[in-house]
Amino acid sequence: MALLSVTGLTVELQTSRGMVPAVRGVSFDLEKGGTLGVVGESGCGKSITALAIMGLLPDGARTTGRVDLDGTDLLTLDEAARCGIRGNRIAMIFQEPMTSLNPVHRIGRQIAEPLRLHRGLRGANARDEVLRLLDRVGLPDPARRINAYPHQMSGGQRQRVMIAMALSCAPDILLADEPTTALDVTIQGQILDLINELVDDTGMGLILISHDLGVIGETTENVAVMYGGTVVEQGATDRLFAKLAHPYSQGLFAAIPRLGEARRGPLPTIAGTVPELADFPPGCAFADRCAKATDVCWRLSPRMQRIGPAHRAACHHLADGQGKAMA
Amino acid sequence: MQAIETVKETVRPGQGVASSGFVRRALGHRSFMIGLVLTGTMIILALVSLVWTPHSPTEIVIAERLKLPSPGHWLGTDQFGRDILSMIMAGAQTSIVVGLIAVSLGAAVGISLGLWAAARRGWTEDVIMRLSDLNLAFPVILIAILLTAGWGPGITNAILALGIYNISVFARQVRGAGIAMWEREFVLAARAAGKGNLAITIEHILPNIISIIVVQATISFAIAILAEAALSYLGVGSQPPNPSWGRMLSESQNYIFLTPIIAVWPGLAIVLSVLGLNLIGDGLRDLVDPRLARRR
Repeated sequence: MALLSVTGLTVELQTSRGMVPAVRGVSFDLEKGGTLGVVGESGCGKSITALAIMGLLPDGARTTGRVDLDGTDLLTLDEAARCGIRGNRIAMIFQEPMTSLNPVHRIGRQIAEPLRLHRGLRGANARDEVLRLLDRVGLPDPARRINAYPHQMSGGQRQRVMIAMALSCAPDILLADEPTTALDVTIQGQILDLINELVDDTGMGLILISHDLGVIGETTENVAVMYGGTVVEQGATDRLFAKLAHPYSQGLFAAIPRLGEARRGPLPTIAGTVPELADFPPGCAFADRCAKATDVCWRLSPRMQRIGPAHRAACHHLADGQGKAMA
Repeated sequence: MQAIETVKETVRPGQGVASSGFVRRALGHRSFMIGLVLTGTMIILALVSLVWTPHSPTEIVIAERLKLPSPGHWLGTDQFGRDILSMIMAGAQTSIVVGLIAVSLGAAVGISLGLWAAARRGWTEDVIMRLSDLNLAFPVILIAILLTAGWGPGITNAILALGIYNISVFARQVRGAGIAMWEREFVLAARAAGKGNLAITIEHILPNIISIIVVQATISFAIAILAEAALSYLGVGSQPPNPSWGRMLSESQNYIFLTPIIAVWPGLAIVLSVLGLNLIGDGLRDLVDPRLARRR
């Protein structure tokens, strides 16, 4: 059985236009020690999915479906039980390391917080553990840095602190929501290497959320491509990257600028913009931006179809056009 | 070389966290320093009056009544021949005690309610804020008169009335700042670490809004001194023979054409102490928000 199993997850958010669906039937599994990348553009529901798993959705959000951790449906647990899981069995790191730390507390105290909360560590024991963690995430001179305030550190250092905090209770799953987006490219590489290394060493599962296909491709074994609150294509990363089936995935990949390649005309883009959450068509979410869309796409939501070993996609037109040629 | 300098620039400390720079900026802030001197004088007068006053503030010497300032009575005497300087000094005690207790009471209850409203939102917040609106609809003077009608006049009722009024003032301020703080990423990160609402409120929300609370407490203190004087003036505050600036003012008005100077002293004491506290409050607001100070 999968360690984490998300089944038919839907999330509706309260907005000025009433309840609007932000996540519409997302399902995926994460095996123990497995790595899953979730990729998609802004507003596709990837962060909301992560927050739903953590139980940290904004007030007034409605959730249906199941999020099973070791067979326990997290969505049915009360707040106290979920507090016991957050930071302990599932930890999360965020996009903005500059603002994810409290400016008024020293970083040592902030890292010690989950240790105190979930492990009951205090005083010198907690301090030793914090020093070990800071050393583990590659922060130079932990004994001095433990007393630093967040504003005395750079973005990359703060993200290392956030990772140390997330690791503190040896979680089963690390949820990383765009962990490198706010960092410059060289630091990005270092942080990704660190995350990879920690996943290999500790055997924790990783869900990496990113809009950056390169980041996902380098880091995760499996990938789910999200659009309009649904997973449109998922599978083993190497298979999926080798044979893109869904028109949206193809569009995403075509839009990556490549170094060293002579520019022939403008960079391909996906036409149109992501519709407002409340305005998605009843059929395929991608229909109004898809070159292959036909009547059926507007009327019916496509089902997930198997298109190869460990590779599935949801599109009415997998069998024709480019999808067929590649199949 | 330039790159090194850029790095230095980005890791420079700041961000409103109290540091040695705070003291330096405070010393350079003129109106804050004036406020500090005025308020300091008032506090020193009150402290000194605990052990020594030139004369007893309650001793009546009819032969000496309504005297102008002289070496024996620096500020003159009132209609009962009491030494006005001694009364002003002892009256400072009353003002400070009333202000301190009223603000502490209002702050303790108001901050708790404000933090609770910000943490819970929903109907809890609605109930707290509507009750607070209701409370603010009653002016302090009215609350004091209501309490006086129930329990008779006295300093306790003045303190209680001011305290009740301050509950709403602090609750509103703290709720607003608290809600903004709950939206910050580090609060989401703290929740992701498994912290409950109470722990987040105490460890993350409160320390980050403390500067707002300090500024509000200073301003509320000034308002409380003014209100205590008003209540005593109206006879629902401090009762004789306890010295009070407000009552000195009301008693002196009968002699305002005879010896106008005896009304000036308590009025001056009230104006200067309220001015001092307001200057401190404004100064603190500038000092904890350097961006605001630079714009002025």
